[in-house]
Amino acid sequence: MSSNLLNSAATHPKPNAVRGHEGIQRTWDPHADRWCAKILPGEYYVTNHDEAITTVLGSCISACIRDPAIRVGGMNHFMLPEDTTNGKSAWLDAELGLATRYGSFAMESLINDLLKLGAKRERLEVKLFGGGRILASMTDVGKRNIDFARNWLRAERLNLVGEDVGETTPRRVLYFTQTGRVLVKHLRTLESRAIATREEQYLTSFKQKPVENDVELF
Amino acid sequence: MARILAVDDSASMRQMVGLTLKSAGHDVLTAADGDEALKMASVGDPVDLVITDVNMPNMDGISLVRELRLLPQYKGVPLLVLTTEASVERKMEGKQAGATGWIVKPFNPDRLLETVAKVLG
Repeated sequence: MSSNLLNSAATHPKPNAVRGHEGIQRTWDPHADRWCAKILPGEYYVTNHDEAITTVLGSCISACIRDPAIRVGGMNHFMLPEDTTNGKSAWLDAELGLATRYGSFAMESLINDLLKLGAKRERLEVKLFGGGRILASMTDVGKRNIDFARNWLRAERLNLVGEDVGETTPRRVLYFTQTGRVLVKHLRTLESRAIATREEQYLTSFKQKPVENDVELF
Repeated sequence: MARILAVDDSASMRQMVGLTLKSAGHDVLTAADGDEALKMASVGDPVDLVITDVNMPNMDGISLVRELRLLPQYKGVPLLVLTTEASVERKMEGKQAGATGWIVKPFNPDRLLETVAKVLG
């Protein structure tokens, strides 16, 4: 095992991470036969190398986005903050506004970094994963995440070419950025509790640190 | 109430910024990139404030700020940058181009309106 790893590392040097993405954990994945970036809730990763990106999703959602013409791609992993507005739809409503702003931020950050690598907005191919209702006791936050992502993509006129969303199982997603191929493994529901707990911790972390804009006047 | 030009390549972002500004009674014009914004700004009376994204096709927000500052009617108009970019280097570029201020997304509507009120004086 370790000699295989060493051989792989010798024949496939770890590609340089795109600036700003050096902090994402990457390991050699013998099954994918590539270096593989593992992203956690709230993170995203983009690459212009032949790499894979993986994540585990419960009710969170991931957009896998690439420009096939220049072979750059990336993935995010996010969840909208809780909606406590009972369906009020005003954007200026504090809670719903927070959800929309946070979701837009997660999508826009990923797309901006792809554009910086030379991608063109009109060529982008998007696939969506996750948004499962993994615990029966939970309200269907997964559906909110799916609805948001689909509506956002429609508003931005981006090309949604595939999705595997909803249902009741968590998923492990493995995305090959150069080809756009995605392997999805539906995980046993036994793992749902641990995944839900981690997603709850992620939600709590940004509830405690509110999404605020940093303003600097020159 | 002011006439404000909001520039962003993201349709949902133009909508969110537009709704926020309109809620405070401002008159909002929108453009989808720096090129379109510069064309709009070059004709007729100048707007009272420009709020621009950075990463956009055709002309980015920092180039837009630089170009606007070359127009005599935009010498004294506040130009705010609203972006996901938060690095000191990019902020410095914006400042040198002639931006009045830098706001990092995701933005808080109340703080955006406070900042707008502040720069409009």
